[in-house]
Amino acid sequence: MPRGYAGKFLQVHLSEGTWSDFKVDEAVLRDFLGGSSLAAKIFFDRYPLDADPLSGQNPLMIMTGPMVASGFPGTSRFSICAKAPQTGIWGESACGGTFGPELKRAGYDGIVVDGIAKSPVTLSIVEGKVELLDASSLWGKDVYETTDILRQEDSKLKVLAIGQAGENLVKIAAIGNDKGHFSGRTGLGAVMGSKRLKAIVVRGSAKLDKFDEEAYKAAFKAAIAEVKESALADGLHLMGSDANMDLGMVNGDVPIKNWTVGQDFELSSNLSGPTMREKYLTKEHACANCPVACKRVVKVDDGPFKTEEGPGPEYETCGTFGTMLMNPDLAAVIKANELCNRYGMDTISCGSAIALAMELYEKGDLTKDDLDGLDLTWGNMEAVMPLIRKIAHREGFGDILAEGSLKAARKIGKGAEDLVVHVKGLEAPMHDPRGFHGMGLAYMMSNRGACHLQHAVLATEQGMASWPELFDMKDDYQGTTSEGKAMLVFNSENYGILGNSLSICHYLVDILKPETILNAFNAITGFNLTKDELLQTGMRDWTLKRGINNLLGITKKDDALPKKLLTALEDGGAAGSVPDVELLRTEYYAIRGLDERGYPVPEKLTELGLNDLKNRLYA
Amino acid sequence: MAKVKAMTQEWMDAYKAAIVADPEYKTVAKDWEGSVSLIVNPDPSKGVPETIYLFQDYWHGDVGEFVVCDKAKAESAKFVMTGDYARWKQVALKELDATKALLQGKLKMKGDLPYVVRNIKVVNKVIDILGRVDTQWPDEA
Repeated sequence: MPRGYAGKFLQVHLSEGTWSDFKVDEAVLRDFLGGSSLAAKIFFDRYPLDADPLSGQNPLMIMTGPMVASGFPGTSRFSICAKAPQTGIWGESACGGTFGPELKRAGYDGIVVDGIAKSPVTLSIVEGKVELLDASSLWGKDVYETTDILRQEDSKLKVLAIGQAGENLVKIAAIGNDKGHFSGRTGLGAVMGSKRLKAIVVRGSAKLDKFDEEAYKAAFKAAIAEVKESALADGLHLMGSDANMDLGMVNGDVPIKNWTVGQDFELSSNLSGPTMREKYLTKEHACANCPVACKRVVKVDDGPFKTEEGPGPEYETCGTFGTMLMNPDLAAVIKANELCNRYGMDTISCGSAIALAMELYEKGDLTKDDLDGLDLTWGNMEAVMPLIRKIAHREGFGDILAEGSLKAARKIGKGAEDLVVHVKGLEAPMHDPRGFHGMGLAYMMSNRGACHLQHAVLATEQGMASWPELFDMKDDYQGTTSEGKAMLVFNSENYGILGNSLSICHYLVDILKPETILNAFNAITGFNLTKDELLQTGMRDWTLKRGINNLLGITKKDDALPKKLLTALEDGGAAGSVPDVELLRTEYYAIRGLDERGYPVPEKLTELGLNDLKNRLYA
Repeated sequence: MAKVKAMTQEWMDAYKAAIVADPEYKTVAKDWEGSVSLIVNPDPSKGVPETIYLFQDYWHGDVGEFVVCDKAKAESAKFVMTGDYARWKQVALKELDATKALLQGKLKMKGDLPYVVRNIKVVNKVIDILGRVDTQWPDEA
């Protein structure tokens, strides 16, 4: 077993109430490293791909990476993976916080849970001791309450929990770690809820050996120096991820009014990171081992959206509950964020679904009667708060939106599907491909649906990071052009994907030099991978997940952008611009090695050592 | 009109005049408060033998002192931006976005970063105007 790993994984069969340890071969670890990449390998090898996402046969996999718990900056993360309830294809969602390092110190690199418990349970892993505990009294409680109760007797426990949304099998349900960190995307909270697994608690103190302590110390020192020198790190510390609001409004990145308006500086000024800092920030907060501390702790002191001190919204949430809804009140965004956190729901999907409902209400395709009496006029946040509750509890109209935007639109009819901005059923995050065509291609090709985090395209195309030592890069890409973007996206995927397999925060991937990350990785594990081998690991990850999706029915026709993103805006930084989907896809397919159906070609699968996948795709 | 030698007092005067003449600047910059200095690192191979210090004073849409100065004055500005000659030239020619240059570490800034982010339209505006100054660059002489 290479260093850096705890050395074993936990398999839990909830239907039987049993568990056991298992190991993964070193060769497999070397090829897939960890995180969502290793989860995909386990899923592909051990489980039926065609199982219903909410059945006992669909595993919930919580995976760390080899650098987690090393103390290296940004290595707090872990990935939660399963076949996704929202999309029916590969689902994954990474999360920061404290759970990942604690799980490894408790003795495990990852957990694979299948089956369905007879009654609600909490999985407890404390210093290597595994137990399934009765959680009946926690069922019905929100993420914050659940976390507090579980910590009453042991304040050092790190908690992963679902709220009411997960219990109610809401397809956009999230999983929360210690209240402020969420695996939000693709509805994995519903998988946890379907298993009646209310929470997982971990505590541990094991120290993980490194292959070369001295080399690690040198890489660590270099990383700290790079963070100190980085304007991006400085900006994230001061303004959080919402630093993007002001900048994005200038360059056409920020979606407004459900993707129909190009620019609104009054909105961005009211919703920006600097505004949050001035009006609501009580302190910055960091995930484990992070010198950046981009997380916000906020409090709204008074007014209709008063909150207790708690985790603040990310940029994405300021978009979905701010600009998307034509809401200029940051206090209302903070309140909506708190509600979504408590119920355990993805703020991107939830806000986007509500934006869809507001647009349909404006068009007259939904009425107050349809909406249980709610007045969904743009910006009416007094109506949004009860709607969030309804979605989490599947009450009234909330039951429709609880399926996610695409399925909700199909149920509503009246052409609503044309108003949904999604790829493969997952609502797009708050970065407009009309301003950045490479992001459009990244949305098209991301394996979990429209996603800004399964790659590093946001960083490279918008100029937050530049890695000329990894691949040919310009200093300054023009967002509103499609030429040359296929290669940029391909390279940015292969490198950025490592954030998920190594379980490093994407911001640190952007901030640190690749050489520093590689040196730390090799010092920890002893794998001694080269830069090219590391990039090939990214390719293998992407291709395996793509193959899984192909086996689940994904083909070229699914690699597309929705109608709205192919309709030019009249004003703003992206005015008059739409991605050239055909050019982007054609160039990308050739570079990535995909055939006319959108399947990886056999030679590519052989090159990447994915022979089992080749056999199943070409059986 | 003859080209103006970059990073000279004559160039600073022309830059200031271009800002004052811009019909939108006063409105865009109505909330901006504070001086900005640009420090150009030497690059003898490009015709820049010594560090150049440039001081610019902006206040609520008005433009004040615009001078080539010494190190002490430059460092007294509210915002101090430092970079290599080649980077500054790329920014002036709009081959490199100033925000991206900052994030990529190609330019360094001392000062209130949230203030700059909040006023990014002002920053982009003055850089846009700079591109209109007909400049003789030292490495093109």
